[in-house]
Amino acid sequence: MKRKLPIAALATIALSASLLAPTAASAKPSITMSGSTSVAPLAELLAKKYIASCGHCANFKLLQGGSDIGVADVAAGRVTIGMSSRDPKPSDPGGLVFYKVARDAVCIVSNNANKIPSIDTAGIQAIFGGGVRSWTQVPGSTQKGPIEIFVRSPGSGTQDAFQRIFMGSQKVFGGAEEKNSNGRVQAAVSSNPLAVGYVSLYFTSGTHTIPYKGVPCTLRNAKSGQYGGSRNFYMVTRGAAKGAAKQWIKWITRSGAARSVIGTEWVPLR
Amino acid sequence: MLSAGLLVLIGFMIVFVFSKAWPSFANNGLAWFGPGGDVDTQLAEIFNSPAESKSYNYTIHVWPMLWSTMLITGGAVILATFISVLSAMFIVEFAPAPVRAVLQPAIRLLAAVPSVIYGLIGLLVIVPFVGNHVITTHQKESVQYVIQLGGSSLIVGIVVLTVMITPIMVAIITDALHSVPRTWTEGAKALGVNRWRALRTVGVRAARPAIVAAAVLATARALGEAIMLSMVAGSSAFAPNPLDGLVFFYEPARTIAATIVDNADGLSVKPFGQTLYAFAAVLLISSAFLSFAGWAARQAMSKYTLGAR
Repeated sequence: MKRKLPIAALATIALSASLLAPTAASAKPSITMSGSTSVAPLAELLAKKYIASCGHCANFKLLQGGSDIGVADVAAGRVTIGMSSRDPKPSDPGGLVFYKVARDAVCIVSNNANKIPSIDTAGIQAIFGGGVRSWTQVPGSTQKGPIEIFVRSPGSGTQDAFQRIFMGSQKVFGGAEEKNSNGRVQAAVSSNPLAVGYVSLYFTSGTHTIPYKGVPCTLRNAKSGQYGGSRNFYMVTRGAAKGAAKQWIKWITRSGAARSVIGTEWVPLR
Repeated sequence: MLSAGLLVLIGFMIVFVFSKAWPSFANNGLAWFGPGGDVDTQLAEIFNSPAESKSYNYTIHVWPMLWSTMLITGGAVILATFISVLSAMFIVEFAPAPVRAVLQPAIRLLAAVPSVIYGLIGLLVIVPFVGNHVITTHQKESVQYVIQLGGSSLIVGIVVLTVMITPIMVAIITDALHSVPRTWTEGAKALGVNRWRALRTVGVRAARPAIVAAAVLATARALGEAIMLSMVAGSSAFAPNPLDGLVFFYEPARTIAATIVDNADGLSVKPFGQTLYAFAAVLLISSAFLSFAGWAARQAMSKYTLGAR
């Protein structure tokens, strides 16, 4: 369930490309993907499985950067597929097709030295909105100092999901720190006893996941639909997917193999 | 031919950046540079602008980031200038030959270390240490309704940036001190002053244009430093307040360059991209001013030197 990731995630901050397959045979179609740091680990696992199961039928190149980078890249034709962990927005460029590939849980996390037993929507809004600034005012907290909030930059799909699911129209506290990847929020929260933040379920190792309305943020609860903080993962193409990209997306959405890969850490659609 | 091509390229770059940035400046006027409101909230609102270009949101007041940039760059360059002049003096005049033989290549190596490595060390070691052990709970509570003190702060930014730019300055100043004609310092010594005084009053004085050049180069690198500062100096667009006393140094400060890096994932949204280009335009202009100021300072000092300029 839990993976060690901070260093790996940090290394990708500068959008370093991780080459999944050696680019040997030139005849193979190549699929390039960029975007959400939440979707990237899933895409990497899926691509490995796909390459193995279809007999090395395609080359993959995977870059990260955030959901909005993915949407912008695919709209500009820089990549074949953009990865997005947020729903389509009215301000997105026209002509994009969003293929829903999985669901994921957004977890509220605190430091391991501060195991908050449960939190509800009002509690999240009070903490992240800046209304409550001291852990002494939070029921169940073992810390004494002020609350340190870690959030994501505006282009993040996780930020979009968090705002939509937990915050509604309430604004995040202006003094909060912005990080630009899941891994950086994870690193900050795991090293700071006073921290609180939100990350994709995959990035929760080293932190304490706070149960939301009494339901722990686990894969099992997300799959059963009991956990309330779930959002969608998308593969985005410019126009309908064609050729190798079409087959790859079809494989993700239809095949049992892909379903079982998704089921290891995320929520399959069917 | 080549230099003409370069000029055209630079001109093209300036025109491109400014044409992209113009809507952001035009919609805010001079208030663009002023204080007011929370920059991160303003950025989020620009990011979430409606799709029609008529109702784009451009409101932004950049002062916290300008102020942070000045504080971090200025602080680091001043610190680095003192350290590097003294180190260069030590290397040139006082260090024994074996020490010098090790120091000089080591400094050149340090000057070539990519900034992201400093950033990683800062992020994983220094920032958590400062946040958990240096800043007291009392200090955190004193400003808790305004800003959170998590360790990524003005002081960490200045210190790491100083470590980053000092080696380049030392390398340049060492070369300049070496090239001061030996006869000048020998002459001073012949008049009875000691080595320290001869170096300070003759060597360093003659090398002043090089010191200015080194400072300008270091300032340019400090101004443009983005990744490292985004990692260690705070991810909150906040203007550190000197009235807070010691806490001032622990407050986060995000420079303009770091803001561009942190928000590059929103480039696809048109007004947001234009705002980022406006940040880039400010950086471009300030570096142009910087090289001009450096040139002017060297002109003023040229009467102290012969030849090398």
